[in-house]
Amino acid sequence: MLAKIFEALYPKVLINIVVKRASTLVYIELCSKKGTISSVHEEFDTVAVNEKMLQFIQTYIKESPYFYVSLLDRALVQGALPACSKQELRYYYDLSDCEYKCVENRWAYYTAKSEIYETEKIYKDIGVDFLFSPFAIINTFFKDKIEGKLAIYALIEENYISVAVFESGKLLYGEHLDMQSVSELDEVLLADEIHNDDDLDLDEGIDLESMDVEDDGIELEDFGDIEDLDTLEDIDEFDSKDVEEELLESENVLDEADEDDFNEDYQRFSLIQTSIANYYKDERYESQFLENMYISDGVGVSRELKRYLEEEMFLNVYIRHIEIDAEICELAKEELGL
Amino acid sequence: MKYSYIKPRKKTPFTPDVQLIVTFFSMTLIMLFSTYAFLLFKNYTFDQDRQELINNKIDLQESIDKMDQKIAYIKQQKSLAEKVFTQNIVLKDSMANLFDLVPQRITLSRAELLNNGLILYGITPSKDVYNFMLLAPLRSIFQKTYTSFYPQENGWLRFVSTNYINEDENEELESEN
Repeated sequence: MLAKIFEALYPKVLINIVVKRASTLVYIELCSKKGTISSVHEEFDTVAVNEKMLQFIQTYIKESPYFYVSLLDRALVQGALPACSKQELRYYYDLSDCEYKCVENRWAYYTAKSEIYETEKIYKDIGVDFLFSPFAIINTFFKDKIEGKLAIYALIEENYISVAVFESGKLLYGEHLDMQSVSELDEVLLADEIHNDDDLDLDEGIDLESMDVEDDGIELEDFGDIEDLDTLEDIDEFDSKDVEEELLESENVLDEADEDDFNEDYQRFSLIQTSIANYYKDERYESQFLENMYISDGVGVSRELKRYLEEEMFLNVYIRHIEIDAEICELAKEELGL
Repeated sequence: MKYSYIKPRKKTPFTPDVQLIVTFFSMTLIMLFSTYAFLLFKNYTFDQDRQELINNKIDLQESIDKMDQKIAYIKQQKSLAEKVFTQNIVLKDSMANLFDLVPQRITLSRAELLNNGLILYGITPSKDVYNFMLLAPLRSIFQKTYTSFYPQENGWLRFVSTNYINEDENEELESEN
């Protein structure tokens, strides 16, 4: 009772931390029962916690004892699985060293316990109250879409891509991809080599017209030579386009890619391609042909990625810009019942 | 719906600084109240002691009064005893003097001492013996002397001598004592 009175007296300070490749974005929102009082963004040149960042956060922490620090999970070992019970989950992944959360008793997302401890250790000066999975963000950000038809969803961060396939609100496949992971990069490069792209040089940029990505044994090859297809609109049988989303997207014009951006977007494309290939190949997952892809873009991808995914993967791609820090804040608010 | 892997830490407005201040103030208040309670208790016990002492004082005063009364009574008794003792001494002396007065030839059979007089019963060989040897000293002491004689078979005389002193003289004698 007393605690509730005190809670009503003080505003809530929501500190949302998003770690980027070489910097950390801190988004702080002061909320009361009536709504948001104020918000502030600040970026710091560190991937951990430096003195400047600590001082900045402490300035706001002092305003209220009810402060909550939210973080986006950066664990390498994390993902989402299309089951919820322990027995079923064991079929997909050994979760003995993992923490997992069930969503609506239909699917679950998990992360390594050691990574949680590591994160808590890094942020011990300010503490951590909420640690959110990128899949939770996909789930809330595309809430209007995942309840619908089968589609693939992706959350693109600077270093990570989280891919999830949903149909009627149920997850069919989920994978967390690390762009910096050497093993994955090797895998991508190896795959590229297999696909006899002798002229492919990441440093010199990529000529999209000459790109030809195929994976033996995956269902993509069933569509024949994709270079024959000028645009997706020309194909009659693909009538599953999301017109509403297209309209929304037309308002946001994507940037032209410069060389560095495109290299990164190519990596992203490769990772998404590999992930889709895994989804099709892995017998444990209920694979269906994917036609639509929804991307929540947290970094500002170029139009090349969209075009490339559309042309090479034969997907209808819709890109929504996402402010990851604000989304984390929304999740924290939902947790606190604000 | 809960999305977070971890639970938020318990939040309280009682930060260590606030806790310190609250602890300090509560300790101060506790000390003040305990001092106040102690003083109240002491005041109460003091009042009780005071009341008890007043009661004791009253009791003692009463007992002093009683003792004073007893002392007065004892003093009275003492003075009375002294008076009796003195009277006894006087009487004893009087008796001794009386018996000194009685010559050997006269035998006293009974003597009655009165407040203002003396009645002697006895046997005398003759009136002359009595008149010369006993009556003369009696007259020197008593102002009024009356004697009656009764003859006995053997020729001796039984006598009753009634002697009185004046009342005024008697009072003077008493006041002197």
